[in-house]
Amino acid sequence: MEKNFYGIFKTFFKVGTLLLGGGYVILPLLTSELADKKKWITSDELVEFYSIGASLPGIIAVNTAIFTGRKLLGTKGAIAAITGVILPAFLAIVLLASIINEIVEIASVKYIFWGVGIGVITLLFLAVKEMWKKSVNDKFSAIIYIICLILALTKKIPLALIITCAIIMGILYHRWQYKTKEVK
Amino acid sequence: MKLFALLFFQFFHVGIFSFGGGYATLPFLYDIAEKYHWYSSKQLTDMLAIASITPGPVGVNVATYAGFTTSGIFGALIATSAIILPSFIIVTIISKFLDKFKTNEMVQGAIHALKPAGCALLSAVGIRLLFTSNLHLIGTIILLILISTSFVKKQDPLFYLGISALIGLILGHFNLIGV
Repeated sequence: MEKNFYGIFKTFFKVGTLLLGGGYVILPLLTSELADKKKWITSDELVEFYSIGASLPGIIAVNTAIFTGRKLLGTKGAIAAITGVILPAFLAIVLLASIINEIVEIASVKYIFWGVGIGVITLLFLAVKEMWKKSVNDKFSAIIYIICLILALTKKIPLALIITCAIIMGILYHRWQYKTKEVK
Repeated sequence: MKLFALLFFQFFHVGIFSFGGGYATLPFLYDIAEKYHWYSSKQLTDMLAIASITPGPVGVNVATYAGFTTSGIFGALIATSAIILPSFIIVTIISKFLDKFKTNEMVQGAIHALKPAGCALLSAVGIRLLFTSNLHLIGTIILLILISTSFVKKQDPLFYLGISALIGLILGHFNLIGV
């Protein structure tokens, strides 16, 4: 396949279709499609895009796709990649959403959704565990975690404000650490 | 028109402030559910289950759904583009000075705090769901069993959803869950 708009779109459409159960799987999928099969990019570059994508706001899979698309074909490539990766998700949901409100009234479906609610909380727990491992690894991050958790549970403060304060705290803390290092 | 602008603005703000991947958009999406009643928290939870078994990033799935229930296909388009637009802008800017970005002291400081903050917001969603989802004793026990099996061996998301759906179906037919 050629490395043009359509080729990139098609590849990312395939990746988007195979992307089940959360965006974290995008890295292995992209590695197999773009690095192993097509050799458009190295797997090291993909890992780098993924890890930077994960530290930026927004959906990780989308961030990674934009980075990769840009690398392949500039802004055009980024647009091809992003449309390709989200189109399967978009279509699947639009098709399902129009029937879902009718089927949830069926008794068996209600039972299934009751059960699935438990499955969802389990998935959330696993996501939190995964994020916790990567994020809470010193005193500072533990304090930030506890403060943010309490603030979020009280529901008094807008979430965006909590995030903004966390950014400021992080910057100040690093500044302060940097200075104490210099003094030593 | 006002609705579309509000829809766009709300999902755009989710795209800017959610750190830590698709699940990190959830705290904001539950927040929107409570503020605007475009969809209910219960609907969002159902949708999250569906999103986990349909293609694509969960964050995109949920945004599309939320937009669709608010005002049909046009709403779905607006919500989906609004949630990814910040990514597009930010990545475009950052890829211009990628190497500087990685070593910048301020960026590292911000990320150091953002990761636990994103994790905390998602924990809060989990805790709130635990208290609002009408699990009863039996559901709580199932949840604890599922979570403890994950410590032995972490399974595919489909495994947890499949098992819990089956359990719900069986218990429901024996009238054990009061749904």
